[in-house]
Amino acid sequence: MAYLITFIILYLVVTIYLGYVGYRRTTTVSDYLLAGRSVHPVTMALSYGSTYISTSAIIGFGGISALYGFSMMWLAFLNIMVGVFVAFVVFGKRTRKMSKSLDAHTFPELLGRRYDSRFVQGFSALVILIFMPLYSAAILTGIARFVEVYLNVPFATAYLVFLLITACYVIWGGLKGVLYTSAFQGLIMIAMMMAIGITTYAAAGGIIDAHRSLTSLAPLVPAALIESGHRGFTAMPAWGSPLWWYVVTTMIMGVGVGVIGQPQLNIRFMTLKSDRELNRAIPFTAFFILLSTGIAFMVGALTNVSFYNNYLGLAIQEVQGNVDKIIPLFIERFYPPWFVALFLVTLMAAAMSANSSQFHTLGTCLSRDIFEQALLKGKSVAETTIVTRIGIVFSIFATLILGLILPEGSVAMATALFFSLSGSTFIPAYLFALYWKRGTKAAAKASIVSGFCSSLIWMVFFHENEAKWLGLSRAFFGKETLAGLPWSMIDPQVIALPIAMIVFVAVSLSTRPVKEETIRAAFRHI
Amino acid sequence: MLGFADIWVVLGYCATLGSVLFCLVYGIVCRHKGTEEKDGDYREEIRWEREEIDLIEKLP
Repeated sequence: MAYLITFIILYLVVTIYLGYVGYRRTTTVSDYLLAGRSVHPVTMALSYGSTYISTSAIIGFGGISALYGFSMMWLAFLNIMVGVFVAFVVFGKRTRKMSKSLDAHTFPELLGRRYDSRFVQGFSALVILIFMPLYSAAILTGIARFVEVYLNVPFATAYLVFLLITACYVIWGGLKGVLYTSAFQGLIMIAMMMAIGITTYAAAGGIIDAHRSLTSLAPLVPAALIESGHRGFTAMPAWGSPLWWYVVTTMIMGVGVGVIGQPQLNIRFMTLKSDRELNRAIPFTAFFILLSTGIAFMVGALTNVSFYNNYLGLAIQEVQGNVDKIIPLFIERFYPPWFVALFLVTLMAAAMSANSSQFHTLGTCLSRDIFEQALLKGKSVAETTIVTRIGIVFSIFATLILGLILPEGSVAMATALFFSLSGSTFIPAYLFALYWKRGTKAAAKASIVSGFCSSLIWMVFFHENEAKWLGLSRAFFGKETLAGLPWSMIDPQVIALPIAMIVFVAVSLSTRPVKEETIRAAFRHI
Repeated sequence: MLGFADIWVVLGYCATLGSVLFCLVYGIVCRHKGTEEKDGDYREEIRWEREEIDLIEKLP
């Protein structure tokens, strides 16, 4: 306990200090919204990585790896190739240039100005404002539950304390405060994950022996999992089985591709001065993702070897089926108390870095996209910073309410819901905004609305996970889901993203292009 | 291979490590590229600076 309190105090002192540095260095609106567009590539890389990788990636997906094994390495691959390389090179460079040409300070503003449409900006901001608090609440709920277990602090108190600390440095420090603190939080994350990765492989006898030991545990896989397609922890599920559809479409593709549509990450590209900084940030970010999610997935799968060698059971059996408890239990059982304390601080860092960026994005959506667009008809004013702060307070309040009413076990569900929804809603309009001059205002509107609606409908009535959780399908039709296998296992994004893409192209080809001068301005530096 | 039971898992493992190497090489090769901006960029910088100064002056 003494270790834990010492580490937490040290961590919070440094975090608050960095938030204060961000506050002192923030003098202009651009500083507050985009950190003055002159962020160092390493700061950007650490901040992007730690915003991308939250508690749910380490705890939620680490636990999922203990269940489905090394097939989750494909998600680590997509996290790096799509979440870093494609995001930076294909989307990031043009996003930076176009946002500069159009003087866009938020993701909805970029889309709105590119398509010359206040509806596109307002609707995008509304989707973010309504659904992002759900994701923020899920992350914060995850960490508050751990504090509840380890420190015996009531859940609501822990939740409120984290919320208030994060709120302080986001409200006063702006994006600079967010970037500095999340870079520090990122450093803690990679140091701890590296230590866990090395010790886990060493304890299992080295890389290849560890994998072999895990392969030999295949006969112990529970019968229900084998029936749905599980073929052991070092093999992909049987091709075409319900488990294959679930692992590949929801776990690997849903999260791996959905990252492109995440507004709190896209805004990072706008903070850099030139493409050179983006190029330099790529290797650092890729290493960060490998050392965080890559190791979390490897360790998650290998927890089975450690639990079997010491307790003669699989990880999932040790936690009575609750995958979220696998990684914490593994750390508690196999590491000394001071390390457990450090791990808890790492989780706090992961949660707070992701949350701070989300609150900042939510605040700017309310001020820049709703307040300035709807109330001031696009006029930029000095009061934007004050309205952003009010917006952040509003989003924190929404997160607080949601966190207190969300049922237990909804962390992974809420995360997947937001990733799917924002991916389907934003990716087509975003991609074509950067690459296709012929893309029209009507197409952007139709694509965003169709992607959002089809994704939501699939979640509510067809995709088993969310449909069961939300319960609307049962209430209206008396069935958990309206689709049979394998459809009920297919991620909403796999259905909604192609629909939104087709709608965009079809509507673009049959409607009037965006004004010539808007296009010329948008592509001026491209 | 590598102690895994399935070639697809071997490929996923190698692809993950390979993608990091690829990003490293890309970052090194392109570390000096992308500083040059097209003509007209400086005018935007000046416009932004002016707007910022205007906004700061209006601050209560």
